Amino acid sequence: MISVTVTKGYDLPISGRPSPEVKTLKKPLRVASLPERIPFIKPRLQVEVHDHVKIGSVLYEDKQNTDLKFLSPGSGTVTAINFGERRVLREIVIELDREEQVVDFPKIADSDIRSLERESLIRMLMQGGVWTLIRELPFRNIADPKSSPSSIWVVMDSGEPFQASPEVYLRGREALFSFGLKIIKRLGIPVNVSAPDHLRLLGISEMITHRVRGPYPAHDPGVVLYQTKKSASENVCWYLTGQDLLAIASLVKNGKYPVERIVAAGGSRVKTGCHFQTRTGAPIRDMIPELADDTTCVAGGLLTGYVVDADSFLGLHETSLFCMDKGDQAQLFGFLRPGLAKHSYSRTFLSVFRKQPFDMDSGMHGEERACVNCGSCTRVCPVDILPQFTIKCLAADAIEEVLAHGLLDCVECGLCSYVCPSKIELREILRKAKHDYYMEQK
Amino acid sequence: MKIIHKLFDSQRKHFEGKGKLRMLKPLFEATETFFLLPGIVARSGPYVRDSLDLKRFMSFVILALMPPFFFGIYNAGYQSCLVSGLPVDFLTVVIRGLWIVMPLVVISYGVGFFWEILFASIRKHPISEGLLVTGLLFPLTLPPAVPLWQAALGISFGVVIGKEVFGGTGRNIFNPALTGRAFLFFAYPTKMSGDAVWVSISGTAQQVADAVTGATPLAVTVLTESGETVLTALEKAGYTFSRLFWGNYPGSIGDTSAFCSLVGAVILILVGVASYRIILGGVLGLLSTGWLLNYLSASSTNVWMVLPPLHHLVMGGFAFGIVYMATDPVSAPGMEHVKWLYGFLIGVLTVLIRVFNPAFPEGVMMAILFMNLFSPLLDHIEIGWRLKKRISNV
Repeated sequence: MISVTVTKGYDLPISGRPSPEVKTLKKPLRVASLPERIPFIKPRLQVEVHDHVKIGSVLYEDKQNTDLKFLSPGSGTVTAINFGERRVLREIVIELDREEQVVDFPKIADSDIRSLERESLIRMLMQGGVWTLIRELPFRNIADPKSSPSSIWVVMDSGEPFQASPEVYLRGREALFSFGLKIIKRLGIPVNVSAPDHLRLLGISEMITHRVRGPYPAHDPGVVLYQTKKSASENVCWYLTGQDLLAIASLVKNGKYPVERIVAAGGSRVKTGCHFQTRTGAPIRDMIPELADDTTCVAGGLLTGYVVDADSFLGLHETSLFCMDKGDQAQLFGFLRPGLAKHSYSRTFLSVFRKQPFDMDSGMHGEERACVNCGSCTRVCPVDILPQFTIKCLAADAIEEVLAHGLLDCVECGLCSYVCPSKIELREILRKAKHDYYMEQK
Repeated sequence: MKIIHKLFDSQRKHFEGKGKLRMLKPLFEATETFFLLPGIVARSGPYVRDSLDLKRFMSFVILALMPPFFFGIYNAGYQSCLVSGLPVDFLTVVIRGLWIVMPLVVISYGVGFFWEILFASIRKHPISEGLLVTGLLFPLTLPPAVPLWQAALGISFGVVIGKEVFGGTGRNIFNPALTGRAFLFFAYPTKMSGDAVWVSISGTAQQVADAVTGATPLAVTVLTESGETVLTALEKAGYTFSRLFWGNYPGSIGDTSAFCSLVGAVILILVGVASYRIILGGVLGLLSTGWLLNYLSASSTNVWMVLPPLHHLVMGGFAFGIVYMATDPVSAPGMEHVKWLYGFLIGVLTVLIRVFNPAFPEGVMMAILFMNLFSPLLDHIEIGWRLKKRISNV
């Protein structure tokens, strides 16, 4: 086992941590699939409104790779197909049947795994709809089976507030996890399992290859890779979370498209933060019935996720919800206040003396200004990018220099945007540059 | 709170769309956001943001400027009363000091904001908080007796040529306040040096003033007679080390007291607004060069060379410059390691200019401006060095 220590990064002291208690939600009335939230795919619809689908029926495929299928997380009638701006396919809503039907996929017994071929395994995972859970560094697109990654990383927890905890989703599923590892090892690529060193994870501890210590986002696969890689040949990697590995294992073992998900709900505006046993594409309202207009709800990690409203659904990759104040109230002499309850990475508020966690809100706490070169972004960046210089290179279209600064190492953790006193959208600028570069590469 | 809200809401229409005062929208916004921290909701991830904004960041520089500002008022008043033969009780001194300093501050802010608003209105940019600092820094570097029109000219040059022509705050390569100060120094050398300018004299007492020397310590050292050490010359003029440290002597308004700058440095370093690397680097550079020159001074007749290094630290504007001017993040390097070098070279240059070019008694101003010019190069060197160690990912 290898110990990895990450020194840069930052742990936000946030209130509303979800308890490890798991509440099982009753079956929702509707579920949905959200292609808009899956990066870099070009969905081609395979169903129409009023069609009947089963759990595991194909809803859409990727135009760029038609083997990549996205399956229905529920059995029932397609009641709505909603489009967003510029007709981007936003969500496919399925009203569930009382008795759900399931598409059968081939299953493989424990003893037959050894004879599994790489090609047939990939085909199997793609048809079973779980290949979409494996993603590729550096761009975080869905893994391209034709690329040649140097390794596969199974990451247990990114340390981001507040993702579903591995201690919760692994409870009682250790054997399934081990089965999943055996399966992906058949892809013929070295498999690494990284876990935070403060979690004991007794059931799987002998399977862990990397123990990572450090502040957020030390446990992100991109950061672990950055800290451990020895040469540029290791830049392309595949990764998946522990929960995704369980889904893959479940498909292969049971021959059914897995829709179970454990989702963490936390934040100051959630009555009791806890974990929910629910399913892929579940309605947000089922988990947070009290969601009000003055609340911002972020799906998929507080710093890297996106805002959802109460009528929306949980995406394919998201396993957390965070609710906080909207923060849209103007404050009299806001910049002069002592700020005992105002969190800051800097030492400019009395809150430096505060020990308790902070209630967050989604306000900017200031207006956008020109960069004054204060260097906070560089100090927090876990992969040693120099955001304050990198965005200036980008403004000058010096893309070679931007790449040399390590743009593709960016893990999109959002810390640079968080700490910026000039409120520059650093993460968004870098993310967009990365996105544009990916599109150009193809 | 509600009243202020309503007041701004009712007046907003004049500044938006086709309102009569739409050209002044930046001014309206700056005023509104001064009173009310706007409740803007994050539109892209991450959806939580730090509570620190640039207004608060700059406010801490203002706060740290308060010790030299208040002491500057007192000292300018005290020196003036002393020379003018007025009583030196606290009240008289402070009133006299306010009478000298406040017009300069008002002119500096007024003229500075005029240019800032003009450029912001034309460019449709928000008004930058940087001017709050520039507008106070600049008058503190001026001699008390400087004519108001010169102060107006200096801040105009500093804001327009030092900052706006480069594109505004964040893009300037020189510190704007120091640019303005340097402009005055070179444009009006006779008025900006000599003995008369350092003390503001009340009109009726001109004769008295002529009898009293107003020479600053930096000037005294130049006047040292042969056979006399620079220390005895200084002490003969009344400049003991402790007096130089506390700052009770004629000089620019804000920069005589090393103690006040030290207090400011402690505030700025504690809250993390100024880089301790630059300040410590500067002090190290100054002291080491001072010692080196002491060591080399045996064969030289240059009186400056034997000045003890610690005296360099407390004399003239070095303390003020290294704490408030050199640490301006925009014109200083952004990389952490070269900040040491940047500060160190400012210290070195300050001593070299003071010692070998007595025509510029205030070496620190030139040193900082000179190193401002080099900070992009220093950044370039450190970035290059860092990128070489990186495993490429393209």
